[in-house]
Amino acid sequence: MGVTMENFVIKGNHPVMEKILQVAQRVATTDSTVMIQGESGTGKELIARYIHAHSRRANQPFIAVNCGAIPPDLLESEMFGHERGAFTGAVAARMGMFQLASGGTIFLDEIGEMSAQLQVKLLRVLQEREIRPVGSDRTVKVDVRVVAATNRDLAVEVEQSRFREDLYYRLQVIPVLLPPLRERRSDIPILVTHFLDKYNAKHEARRCTIADDAMVHLWEYDWPGNVRELENLVERLVVLSEDALVQVDHLPPNIRSFISEKKIPRPSLTEEGIDLNKAVEEFEYRLIDEALRRTKGNKQAAARLLGLKRTTLVAKLRRKGSAANQAEGYLI
Amino acid sequence: MSDADKENAARILIVDDDANTLEILRRWLAKEGYNTASAADGNECLAILEKETFDIVLLDVMMPGLDGLQVCERMRSHAQWRTIPVVLLTAKDDMETRTRGMALGVSEYLTKPINKSELFSRLRAQVHTRELDRRMDRTAAAIDELPED
Repeated sequence: MGVTMENFVIKGNHPVMEKILQVAQRVATTDSTVMIQGESGTGKELIARYIHAHSRRANQPFIAVNCGAIPPDLLESEMFGHERGAFTGAVAARMGMFQLASGGTIFLDEIGEMSAQLQVKLLRVLQEREIRPVGSDRTVKVDVRVVAATNRDLAVEVEQSRFREDLYYRLQVIPVLLPPLRERRSDIPILVTHFLDKYNAKHEARRCTIADDAMVHLWEYDWPGNVRELENLVERLVVLSEDALVQVDHLPPNIRSFISEKKIPRPSLTEEGIDLNKAVEEFEYRLIDEALRRTKGNKQAAARLLGLKRTTLVAKLRRKGSAANQAEGYLI
Repeated sequence: MSDADKENAARILIVDDDANTLEILRRWLAKEGYNTASAADGNECLAILEKETFDIVLLDVMMPGLDGLQVCERMRSHAQWRTIPVVLLTAKDDMETRTRGMALGVSEYLTKPINKSELFSRLRAQVHTRELDRRMDRTAAAIDELPED
């Protein structure tokens, strides 16, 4: 089905993903530096691992360094190693990630978080292909392919002088851009099915499936945490489901209410203030919408869900219809 | 808007059998800087697709003759049209139609009454993916320039 990255779970058949995987396959045969950009959870490390696994370096190490998760003053020695006594606590010499990755690939995640001082040192490493451990006066040659990643727009970071321009161009030789999941929505059902299979295999007691309308809710949700958020949710659903069928009621409330929120966005208090009555009215309409959807348009049942009399609901619906008719910026 | 911007603006085909809706959408999208064309039903939509290329098709569901879902089905089985993002914009709010839209791989399912800013943000997302797709073409060209390892 579509494009599959065998062991790497980049799944989907959206045309842009097909193109990205073709690029990954082709760039794997070169030794070029690759820069992967995408929101968090879009699978940047998976692409990096894929490139490594399809390169001539496949049997050598793949070392991942999260530049945003390591305290800035430790990152240099993590990357380049240190000599004995280089700083307090450096009781023995230690190899850095670049040396550990020797012959293989180093994956520098969240490279946008790197300090200005370390950016200069990394630039030198990329130019000279040698590192200098902290506290050492000698350099060591390294043969390592660099794949970097960021969830920031590095071009903007360069413009605002937070990222070195020369380093940017060094890294940007082959840019790979990953779309957020909401921009390749048609892949969501494929991913849900894939993750259901994966976690069903782990919990063999029963096979969990998903109801069509629950799948629709997952499909329409915007997934700010992207594929990672989707995978985490599917795992939780499989683990927690008591019957073997995931229904709409099992989904988290923010996903259940998303379809209605899309129609009437959540109001927020801006600098210019807000019309509270209108916001409250819209909130009311959103819940009415959701109740009608759940009851497949049955007004009696919807009124019951909302704790209203049927006649009250009908009156509200009439007012809602004429409000939408008059509202500026709405198409009915 | 400069001529270059206009040239680069996404082309959207709006399909709706309601002339009033068609006109409102056309005005909204033109004001936002999109190039638009419109079709009054499914058959006209397919006829226009034969002649011109579009970045997005904004499609009503309930139309006489070919309905929106059938148009979508035709597009999906067509070599050139299968990758054009389809945004369904419809009064049909039921789960069955949504499920069919999902199965046909539509990019967005929006129901009326539709909020203008919501529509624009959904269209912007599709345009963003189009831009990303073009940049990946440039990346592919850059790889061709590289020496083999």
